[in-house]
Amino acid sequence: MIKFERFKLDNGLTVLFHKDPTTPLAVVNTLYDVGARDEVEEKTGFAHLFEHLMFGGSVNIPDFDAPLQMAGGESNAFTSNDITNYYDVLPANNLETALWLESDRMLSLAFTPKSLEVQRNVVIEEFKQRYLNQPYGDVWLELRPLAYEKHPYKWATIGKEIKHIEDATMEDVKDFFHKHYNPSNAILCVAGNFELDYVKEVVEKWYGPIPAGIKPARILESEPEQNEFREKTIERPVPTDAFYYAFKMPERRNEGFYMADVLSDALGRDKSSRLYISLKKEQKLVSEIGAYITGSMDQGLLVVSGKLNDGVSFEDLDKALWKVLDKIQTHPISQEELDRLMIKIRTSKEFQEQGLLNRAMNLCVFELLGDAEGINTEHEIYHAIQPSHLQETALHILKPTNCSLLKVKASTNA
Amino acid sequence: MLNRKETPAILPIEKINFVKPQVFDISTSTKLFFMKEVPNETTRLDLYFDAGTIKGDIGISSFVNGLLLSGTKDKTSIQINSEIDNLGGFFESGISNENAVITIYSLRENILPILRVIQDAIQNLAFIEHEVEELIADRRQKFKQNMEKVSFLAQRAFQQRLFNDSIYGRITNEADFDSITIPKLKHFFQENYLNGLSKVVVVGNLNQDEIDEIIDLTGSWSSEVNTQFENSIKNLRGGAHIVKDGAVQTAIRVGKILFNKTHEDYNDFLILNTIFGDYFGSRLMSNIREDKGYTYGIGTMVAELHETGYFLIATEVGKDVKDATLKEIQFEMERLQTELVSEEELLLVKNYMLGQLLKSADGPYSMTDLYMSVEPYDLDLDFYNKSIESINHITPERIQELAQKYLRWNDMTVVSAG
Repeated sequence: MIKFERFKLDNGLTVLFHKDPTTPLAVVNTLYDVGARDEVEEKTGFAHLFEHLMFGGSVNIPDFDAPLQMAGGESNAFTSNDITNYYDVLPANNLETALWLESDRMLSLAFTPKSLEVQRNVVIEEFKQRYLNQPYGDVWLELRPLAYEKHPYKWATIGKEIKHIEDATMEDVKDFFHKHYNPSNAILCVAGNFELDYVKEVVEKWYGPIPAGIKPARILESEPEQNEFREKTIERPVPTDAFYYAFKMPERRNEGFYMADVLSDALGRDKSSRLYISLKKEQKLVSEIGAYITGSMDQGLLVVSGKLNDGVSFEDLDKALWKVLDKIQTHPISQEELDRLMIKIRTSKEFQEQGLLNRAMNLCVFELLGDAEGINTEHEIYHAIQPSHLQETALHILKPTNCSLLKVKASTNA
Repeated sequence: MLNRKETPAILPIEKINFVKPQVFDISTSTKLFFMKEVPNETTRLDLYFDAGTIKGDIGISSFVNGLLLSGTKDKTSIQINSEIDNLGGFFESGISNENAVITIYSLRENILPILRVIQDAIQNLAFIEHEVEELIADRRQKFKQNMEKVSFLAQRAFQQRLFNDSIYGRITNEADFDSITIPKLKHFFQENYLNGLSKVVVVGNLNQDEIDEIIDLTGSWSSEVNTQFENSIKNLRGGAHIVKDGAVQTAIRVGKILFNKTHEDYNDFLILNTIFGDYFGSRLMSNIREDKGYTYGIGTMVAELHETGYFLIATEVGKDVKDATLKEIQFEMERLQTELVSEEELLLVKNYMLGQLLKSADGPYSMTDLYMSVEPYDLDLDFYNKSIESINHITPERIQELAQKYLRWNDMTVVSAG
């Protein structure tokens, strides 16, 4: 049970406070309700580039990191297709330093040309390091536009292409900030050994004067229903053929999301999962295989991916894979198997909630979903899942007309 | 009126509580470390074996480590993994130069049932032929994939030149996979697992009976030998470049043999290391990422071995700026030797390091890890009080002296791949 308090400032900022009397540290986590899905198709990679610029100095403070380090703390951030999340971890008695820094960059940035120029280069190097210079690194750049025709999930957080990042202008940066970075579009969580009154006082002190903004309306192109099997083969200088079967699945706020999550576990989370046992251990078709979900806010993907053993064809794999997928649609899973999946979920959750930072981040995510209390009630949704639910979900999701298949073929010169 | 220009008053860290785990003797040379103060249902159990990559023929250690749950005469690997999963357990096994470590994560109520499954799987490990063949094939694929990565190529070449002709400098080649045989695997396993347990670490709110059962279950594997580790390794100075066609980035590794926590300069050097490359505001990050934009990241570290240690700088940069980056690394080394660090920069690094230490001691898992990182050197938690003392008392002159002593460009092994 994770206890928290919630209060709202007049300017629209939602604040969560989580008390942990056992730690000498404080966490300040800020979630902005903006991600790569809020970009326009001609200017992708922007939410992420912007995250880098948030460390390039704010209106009153030339350098974000140095004062935080001076206070014994450190900071980082990440951007996804859905959200941008910033966090600071520091000794509890210096909490105000983090609030001072975070509130100033919510107020306004310094927008220095040097910061834009340098971070553009840094992000381009990040693009190369993570997506271009790794075997299979560009798979998601290919898979997204295959699975999505309209919805902005069709591009990756890093962007569709390097050129979009190269072309970013200061005007773009400023527009993006003014549209998305304001108190009503953010959720703040303070965690540590504090009293609520104190947290209210210092949060009001630093964030209260920030002018209220307008929470931007999110009108995204909705993805038309997929009624066809899609397939694409790319050749790359990699040593092994690889496959990615991506099935559309329900959005985060839908119960079906949880069912698809458990279904993916049954198919390919662990070494006792169906695909692992059948395709790897019994039939020896693959060297690795797994199933997982993207966890997206909007309609997401359940992905089955892996690598073929030498001498095995994509056709052999395809037949064997669909057999496993058919079986889970035609035969309900046993209570024993379901119990196994549930205890793994429960164990992972216990470990995740060990960390103060994880708790603060998750509280913000659940608040974004509608209510931070979801962090404590989510397990009830999992526990209500019955074998019949999984069978229905499988029937609905695991069909060829809901599938996009990306094959990476090893080119001969590898 | 709120003053946003000035930082709120910064309060110093007054005290860090270091908590020592309880220690039990499993045998004369094998100990169990137990951290009981866990405020929730999670438990972690680590088994350390004297079975690292420096042991045995090249590559053998890693295959044995990968086969630990591959089946007994009574149970297949599928059965073993299913039993662990039924109990909600997570099993990890990993290997370093000097150790192999098995880790189990689970809820408290399941840790012993899981350990019983794993104990049986290891005690009766059969090295079934098709399991061995499968792992060799998997590893061969993985190896080919890794050889496509500039970071892997640079790391290999660096390891070879850093550890030079010592046992630590051996690197695996694809041909080594051909010489793996079942008798060799069995022999290694018998010597270094069934008689190689060097430590057990338990974090979790268990009772004494449960600890006693863990000792009973694993005690017979205790190592009776005290392994001797090499202590006089000298790195090969100077550069080498590995060509990788088509790469858009070049991986760089620069470093030298240094020392471990037992050395008198260790704590002070860690401060120099932080200034130079071990935090976001470091000299290297400020120059090479935040000023020039050559890279997504650059960092330095001090890595430790039982008898020695090494210093490492690692980065991936755009392929056009490899030489420019090496020049800047050299420039930053020399700047630390010729210019005194400002009081303000030093104060920032001191405060940052104290904050990091506070974080490293926060919670039973971090605290145990902190203890386990001094234990191999026969040090105790007082080491960290000495670190704090070192942080509080270091001067710009001392930093400069250490840079002159340990950060000489000509002493470095310099490797790139791209």
